[in-house]
Amino acid sequence: MSELLPWLRVIQRRRSRLLVGAGLILLTLLSGLGLLALSGWFITATAVTGLLLAAGIQASLDIYTPGGGIRGFAVTRTVARYLERLYNHDTVLQLLADVRIQLFRGLARQSYRHLRSLRGADWLNRLTTDLDAMDSLYLRLIAPTALALLVSVGLVLVAWWLVSPLLALALAVLLAAGFLVATVLLHLRTGDHAAAIMVQQADLRAATIEHLEGQAELRAAGLLPQQQQALSARGDDYMAGQVVVDTRTAWHQALAGVLVNLAALTALVLGLQQMAAGAITGPVAVILPLALLGLVEVYGQLPEAFGRLGATVTSAARLNRDSGPLVPGSGSGRERAGDSNDRVQTGICLRNADIGPAGLEPVLKGLTLTLEAGDWLGIVGRSGSGKSSLADALAGCAPLAAGQREGVPAARVAYLTQQTTLLDDTLRANLVPDGRPVSDETLWRVLELVGLGERIAASRGRLDTWLGAYGSKLSGGEARRVALARVLLHPADLVILDEPFTGLDRATRERICQQLPAWLEGRTVVVLAHDEDALVPVRQVIHLDQR
Amino acid sequence: MEAVESRPDAGASAEAPLAGLTPRRWLAGLAVVGQRQIRLTILAGTLAGLATIAQMGLLAWLVHQTVIVETPLSQLMAVMAALVLMIVLRGALLGLQGRFAASSSRAIRGAVRRQLLATWQQAGPGRLQGESAATLASEWLDQVEALHGYFARFLPQMMLCVLVPLAILAVAAWLDWLAALLLLFSAPLIPLFMALVGMGAKKVNQQHFQVIGRLSGQFLDKVRALTTLQLFGGVERATDILAARSEEYRDVTMKTLRVAFLSSAVLEFFSSVAIAVVAIYIGFGLLGYISFGPSDSLTLFSGLWILLLAPEFFQPLRQLAQHYHDRAAALGASAQLMDRLQSAPTTTPPSSTLAAHPDRIELHSVTLRYEDRGPVLNRLSLSLPRGGCVALVGPSGGGKSSLLHVLAGFLPPDGGTVSVFGEAPGHRPFGWLGQSPFLLQGSWADNLRLVAPAATEADMQQALARVGLGDLPGQRAAGLDSPVSEQGSGLSGGQARRLSLARIFLADYPLVLLDEPTAGLDADSQTVIIEALAALKAEGRTLVLATHHDSLLALADRCLHVEGGDVRDV
Repeated sequence: MSELLPWLRVIQRRRSRLLVGAGLILLTLLSGLGLLALSGWFITATAVTGLLLAAGIQASLDIYTPGGGIRGFAVTRTVARYLERLYNHDTVLQLLADVRIQLFRGLARQSYRHLRSLRGADWLNRLTTDLDAMDSLYLRLIAPTALALLVSVGLVLVAWWLVSPLLALALAVLLAAGFLVATVLLHLRTGDHAAAIMVQQADLRAATIEHLEGQAELRAAGLLPQQQQALSARGDDYMAGQVVVDTRTAWHQALAGVLVNLAALTALVLGLQQMAAGAITGPVAVILPLALLGLVEVYGQLPEAFGRLGATVTSAARLNRDSGPLVPGSGSGRERAGDSNDRVQTGICLRNADIGPAGLEPVLKGLTLTLEAGDWLGIVGRSGSGKSSLADALAGCAPLAAGQREGVPAARVAYLTQQTTLLDDTLRANLVPDGRPVSDETLWRVLELVGLGERIAASRGRLDTWLGAYGSKLSGGEARRVALARVLLHPADLVILDEPFTGLDRATRERICQQLPAWLEGRTVVVLAHDEDALVPVRQVIHLDQR
Repeated sequence: MEAVESRPDAGASAEAPLAGLTPRRWLAGLAVVGQRQIRLTILAGTLAGLATIAQMGLLAWLVHQTVIVETPLSQLMAVMAALVLMIVLRGALLGLQGRFAASSSRAIRGAVRRQLLATWQQAGPGRLQGESAATLASEWLDQVEALHGYFARFLPQMMLCVLVPLAILAVAAWLDWLAALLLLFSAPLIPLFMALVGMGAKKVNQQHFQVIGRLSGQFLDKVRALTTLQLFGGVERATDILAARSEEYRDVTMKTLRVAFLSSAVLEFFSSVAIAVVAIYIGFGLLGYISFGPSDSLTLFSGLWILLLAPEFFQPLRQLAQHYHDRAAALGASAQLMDRLQSAPTTTPPSSTLAAHPDRIELHSVTLRYEDRGPVLNRLSLSLPRGGCVALVGPSGGGKSSLLHVLAGFLPPDGGTVSVFGEAPGHRPFGWLGQSPFLLQGSWADNLRLVAPAATEADMQQALARVGLGDLPGQRAAGLDSPVSEQGSGLSGGQARRLSLARIFLADYPLVLLDEPTAGLDADSQTVIIEALAALKAEGRTLVLATHHDSLLALADRCLHVEGGDVRDV
């Protein structure tokens, strides 16, 4: 359960809103209970008075106060309900944003390498599910639980004051049992299942994707029917787990309802006994049982949230793992990396470095490489030769398995990664993601350099053209050039370009190559590519394969 | 002989069962699968409602007997026992309702999942290639999951919110018709209420999901670009944008919600007012203040019973409002699922292979067309000998892949006959190597034994050696039992394709079909694959490969140019 703590902390930052929202729910609940209880008292009182009047005995009953009370409760319940929904929905929307921003900050603190390992539609899909679970934490879990407890305790105290300590004790026992059945006991019985379902779902998704991607080969090998059956069976297994959770939730909800109903019956019987003993009047004996009948609905909301609690905890654990605390030594967020290096150096040096993907044998061993300030170096290697790992290491994004990196601090490196990523934002924001002021003239010059000047000048929004899913679509080559322009605009001493010309035709490539030296005058440059054709003209080339 | 069978266009009019169906109808049709369980759900819910009515009646009777008649409690033990019984019975019925609901939804979702699997198979790998596997998998999992609430909660509740209030109304009318009229009047016809609830809930729901969708979109986009943002110092700005956008969305949403929540307030208002009016009417009636109607005969018993039933009268409706989002989610999902299920072409039984030669691959007058294009293959006749190696060349989109898919049996031709060594295509296992090779998330051994379960360690090592991967598992700790891809690094494209090729060496397939086996690979992998194919050819296997690559062409005995429906020798 401690997995939920970071998220509860996020939520409780809006403590006053939560309290007001809970107060409104409480008002709605109490008006509902009050309406029923007072109505019951009123009817019983009028029946008793009516009986006396019919028998010719003088009797009077103030009908205006309870009548007004009943109307008052009816109105309060309606108004409080409306305000409660509005106010709490607003809160939920605020929490929604809070939770996402919190997670985003957490993720942004993670190392470059950790984030690279999290890519993929699958992970984003999972993230969405997990975030949904955090969104409903307050309104589904915390508020109903707290209020059910509060109202229960209140009713027990009323029983003590109105009827007898014995009734208070009996109610305390029955309501506590009902509460436990609806919450803790249900969680104990479904927690593991609900958590397992989450894992099963992820596995099932992976298996389904596998099945789809392998359809041609599986079918060719004659294995498709049996694979389909296996997948169907796994789907059934997954649902069987859900049926267990759903069924147990339903039974616990029913049992909690039975216990609260029995509490109402107990309150009635003990109340009527007190009445027979002359301690209270008949109408008063009716108040508590009716209020307790109203409590059934309050308890009925708890099991759904607690049946899912196991899944919610799993979601929280996964989010914590993704955005969790920094692992010492694995390299912190790049924006802060290398701050300790106060000596201004514009050269770069790797000494005896072992480099490779995380968790595997280094692909490059004992590499020593020195670049003086202003040097241009080309590195050529086929896929799998450790080229991109070397680029990461030079950029200071990934820790070395062994050896040292000295020279330009990571914050002074402009790095064009092999993968092109554009933001769903304007062209300007894509060129200058940190929003530092850059003149339009400079932006146009760099767009001209990468050969996008005309294309952008002809577009409607020009520099503020919206790129990404909702904006104008760029071709792969155009997107690559925007990414290149972004790197060229970044104030840096060391520029690393990993496969800069993916998707560009020869003419464009040559044009860019001609202008690069002037633009990058005085900076240290490393270009990596799969063969020499794809390089920028450099003074020196290293072939990784021949080392 | 001109025996071109004609077949209606795939997927259009022939696949009638789903065409023209609204999502709502489709859902109603699905309910048939779990009908028994759904009926049991409704039955249990209705009986629970009746048990509630009885429980309230007994409670009112108990109060009446003690307060008005002044019967000692000790003489009312039977009533109390009956009360306990009703309470327990109601609980048991509600539990059963949940149980039946869970299993009806399970049966229906299982059926939809099987339908989808069948659709995928019918569509075949060729047609599925255009869709991302993640999208299809999400339909199979998440969209089908979205149907759960509809069948488990909403659909039964629809019935319950008619049946239970009607039963309550009947009891109330029997006790005091004027009170029943008040209840009925407070709920000016349940259907109208439901429409009201529906409209409001729909709007809230749409708004909510739209906002979440946009917010998630923004958020996911930023997360996707996080490494880039880190590299260029854009994290702070992105966080600010995220916060600002959330605030904007919240503002817009709250404006609509102010109106939309009114519908639930109306429901709440009517149910509160109904209780209040009924209570005051009964109270005045009991005091004898009302001189008309049936109020003379009101007793504490009948009055209290009606009062206790009043909230129960509205309860099913309020629950329906809570489940309304289930309906919206299911309708959204079914629109998408129906599109997918409709996309499958009708399967035609494999055309008879007349006088098929047991040692040749034969195509007679084969025609293949896609819905919105001219024929990809036009009355194509071909005869290829066993053990040969045929290369298919031609521009991309010219029909090379389609021809391979026909030979594989993935695409049934629109006309003509195909036979592979005397049998229907795809009847016997064969080797397939596409551009995106298939890897299991498992060990090297898992991946190799997929097609040859009996393969020994030595067999596997040998097969790997033939594709130049002999030393790769050795670098891992657990050898062949170590996972193919570990966190942070998978195999490169070339390595994956070579692993796939190693499978073909393990299984003794007479026919191997290859779609651009060397495209996009580095020189090393290309060389290895070409050598391996030469070895397969030398083993006497029949190879048909689509390629652009010159060194692969050298391997071929025959070279066919495929373009615009025609195939000719080069």
